[in-house]
Amino acid sequence: MSGEMAFVSCTVNSVTQEFHVRPEEMLIDVLRDRLALTGTKLSCDLGACGACTVLLDGKPVSSCATFAWQTDGMNVRTVEGLAAANGALDPVQQAFIENSAFQCGYCTPGMIMLARALLDRDPSPDRETIRVWMGANICRCTGYEMIIEAVEKAALIPLETGK
Amino acid sequence: MNEMSANLDVVGHDTVRKDAVPKTTGAATYTVDVSFPGMLHAKVLRSPHAHARVTSIDASKVRGMPGVHAVVTRDDLDGLNPTYGYFIKDQPIVAMDKVRYIGDTVAAVAAETELQAVAALEQITVGYKILPTVATVEEAMAETAPELFEEEPMGVVPAYGQGASGARRLGRNNCYRFSYETGDEAAFDRCDHIFEDRFVFSRDQHFHLEPFVTVARMDGDVIEIWSSTQNPFPLRKELARVFQYPENRIRVRVPYLGAGYGAKNNCKTEPIAILLARLSGKPVRFCMTTEENFLTQSQHAAILDVKTGVMADGTFVARSGHILLDSGAYSDASPLVAEKAGYRLPGPYNWQHLNIDCDCILTNTTPAGPYRGFGGTQASWASESQVDIIARALGRDPLDLRMQNVKNLGEAYVPGESGIDSDLRAGLKVVADRVGYEARSRGDGRGMGVSIGFKDAGGVNKPSQARIRITTTGGVYLECGAIEIGQGIHTAMSQIVAELLNTQLDRVVYPELNTDYTPFEQGTNASSAIIGTAQAVQQAALVAKQKVLEFAARELDCGIDEIELDDWSIRKGNDAHPLAPMIMGYYGGTGYEFTGAGFFKPELDHAAPLESQCVSWEFGWGAAEVEVDRETGLIRLLQLVVSGDAGRAINPLVCRGQDEGSAVMGLTGVLFPCMVYDGAILMNGNGLDYRVPLATDIPDGFVSILQEQGHGPGPFGSKSIGEGCMLPVASAIANAVEDAIGVRIRELPLTPERVLAAIDEACG
Ligand code: FES
Ligand code: FES
Repeated sequence: MSGEMAFVSCTVNSVTQEFHVRPEEMLIDVLRDRLALTGTKLSCDLGACGACTVLLDGKPVSSCATFAWQTDGMNVRTVEGLAAANGALDPVQQAFIENSAFQCGYCTPGMIMLARALLDRDPSPDRETIRVWMGANICRCTGYEMIIEAVEKAALIPLETGK
Repeated sequence: MNEMSANLDVVGHDTVRKDAVPKTTGAATYTVDVSFPGMLHAKVLRSPHAHARVTSIDASKVRGMPGVHAVVTRDDLDGLNPTYGYFIKDQPIVAMDKVRYIGDTVAAVAAETELQAVAALEQITVGYKILPTVATVEEAMAETAPELFEEEPMGVVPAYGQGASGARRLGRNNCYRFSYETGDEAAFDRCDHIFEDRFVFSRDQHFHLEPFVTVARMDGDVIEIWSSTQNPFPLRKELARVFQYPENRIRVRVPYLGAGYGAKNNCKTEPIAILLARLSGKPVRFCMTTEENFLTQSQHAAILDVKTGVMADGTFVARSGHILLDSGAYSDASPLVAEKAGYRLPGPYNWQHLNIDCDCILTNTTPAGPYRGFGGTQASWASESQVDIIARALGRDPLDLRMQNVKNLGEAYVPGESGIDSDLRAGLKVVADRVGYEARSRGDGRGMGVSIGFKDAGGVNKPSQARIRITTTGGVYLECGAIEIGQGIHTAMSQIVAELLNTQLDRVVYPELNTDYTPFEQGTNASSAIIGTAQAVQQAALVAKQKVLEFAARELDCGIDEIELDDWSIRKGNDAHPLAPMIMGYYGGTGYEFTGAGFFKPELDHAAPLESQCVSWEFGWGAAEVEVDRETGLIRLLQLVVSGDAGRAINPLVCRGQDEGSAVMGLTGVLFPCMVYDGAILMNGNGLDYRVPLATDIPDGFVSILQEQGHGPGPFGSKSIGEGCMLPVASAIANAVEDAIGVRIRELPLTPERVLAAIDEACG
């Protein structure tokens, strides 16, 4: 059912990980099944909903649509790796908590990673920029307004340094 | 607008949700995350045909394939009651004599990997004899239509009270009819005007991001499942019937739910996961794909014929209606949805006569079931659209006509029913003022519309139990069966308990639901938690508190009215007496737990049409402003203002999320194609092709306004808020379109093609 295994060495949440992966193995399978990082959620499995969003060298990608071998030599960041070394939550997490920007929470890890990527490239985006950027992921629960407001708020919270 | 009752310390505040940290750090456990060593993965073979007789199934090649541990076909159902359903037990675990829609379950395999399971399914050979297909309700009702069920499946018609009735198999593929009648039909004869309109409602899919998923295993002789379900206790009962197994040897555990919106009621992945776990002796995970979700449950498409008689001065007199619900291939919750769609069609207005039938028609498509709004969305779409049609025909302002005819606060909905527990005029004014209705400028293709979304809340005759346990040091266990599906109920219930026990919120824990320990709950649905379950919780908390106070009064040798409970200390005058030492002094150093039990259920009442009076009435007031391009037919939504009445908001921020989330969900059926069928073939049943609203679809003018009118039956005057704001969205927008360009669209979604067709028709 599979061809040759590929060797992959990548960093996941600042820890080096090495695997032999099947060619068809997706990043999300490695994260959830091999590393027990179940914060990243699978939904559509088609790259459409963004529930599985992680950061690959800082860029948001759908981990359901990224082959595991593609991460060789790269930095993967998941929701579990967002808090600072001292345990302080990321400003995006803090803002999602304070603003109640989640309901069932299934889209939330993906939304938070997507927002983190935005703030990394644009630390003070305007509302329209946030709306367009966050339009990449689906949330069926919240109606989005409270998510957008949380991202606005996160932009105002200083980022803990020294991760 | 939060200037109501008493100073409360915890209730009424935007406290951080109890699930906030787990859900934002990835630590929250959902059923998809449950895993065991040696766990197998289930996959099912689905029918490629919409309607066929299953002439043969051969799974012999599968047994012994690599990694395969168990296979289920119709030959493996010995000793089971192999069909399930709500009132009508017509849906088989796997196909027996027939398949009835594309995607119907034919066989299942458990293997060590999903890929092995899929490979095994390919080796199962099935013989089909193709039968003629009915893909729409019109086709299904035709004289010559093939019946999905040649014989009547086992089932019951529930008891109804005054004016209501139910019936089965009244026509071709008609699986259930709900009827409601009150008043004298002659009322129509006295009317100055009669309006007759047909409205068509589209078919959304819930699109819950967490799929249907169950992990099942045998724990000794106990069937243990983790499942993403909204109603674990009725599910347990149904599984006990299907597997002919004692209820108390089935353990249902429910972690966080990645939402459900109604879809996750009753059997979905559970029977197959259990069957495969029993056959293989290993834990089995059955997790559907998004594509399979689309083949498992949908909303009901509907055709609604509404006839309304009014007087020249605008007074509403009589309404009759006939609703056809597309039930898909199995009855599922259709009888219940029919009951609610039919019962809610009158809207919150005064009538002298009502006569409504709602028929559930089986078609060879995905089974339709509970979906947020539960028939109320369909009913509100038709009812609130027709109110505007009437207003315009009479030369009346639609807002004004509503103000004239709506029920007053406290007025019974229909004879024998409970009183309306919101001020409807006040609510309507809130959204009209905010959208700028009175001062609106028209022309340029712009217009505004309003609507009152309406449903009863709390379910029918729905029991809830609760228990409060308080440890020696004041830790509180809040035990009830309301499931955290995203609505924030863990937090709201905890706030209520903290308030009643005068303690700190973080002393309250809400253990994960486990049917072995958790008090009974009929289900987390029907907007019932805050008005039903919460009353049981309130009672349990007050009983426990009373026991504590009685104990303390005895220990302090004083009257109970001389003391107060204050953060697990007893205040007596100016003295504080910590409870922990007092408890250990009496019960011994290992301590004790004070417990309180609570119960809530509406009384049975044969004078009430649904056999018990509705616990509460849920409203969503909506106002929309649109700009319509007459050339392209495109509707641009400029403003959408929605408002619900939380009675008393336990957590206002969470209530806001409910209002906004349900309103945006309501946009799906207005702006997007929903489920598109080509005959019986679903064309867009996957995450890529199916369109749900995105952040970029929401207009800047989207606002929710939370009302707290204070009349709710829940603790502190609270009311349900989870469904109301979805209900007015479609009609408010269609009403705004007519305000803008003078054409009426009676069919959802409001596509540019329909707008252009309506313009053409109006021109000529
Ligand atoms: S699950 Fe990966 S994008 Fe939907
Ligand atoms: S919070 Fe449920 S999908 Fe976003």
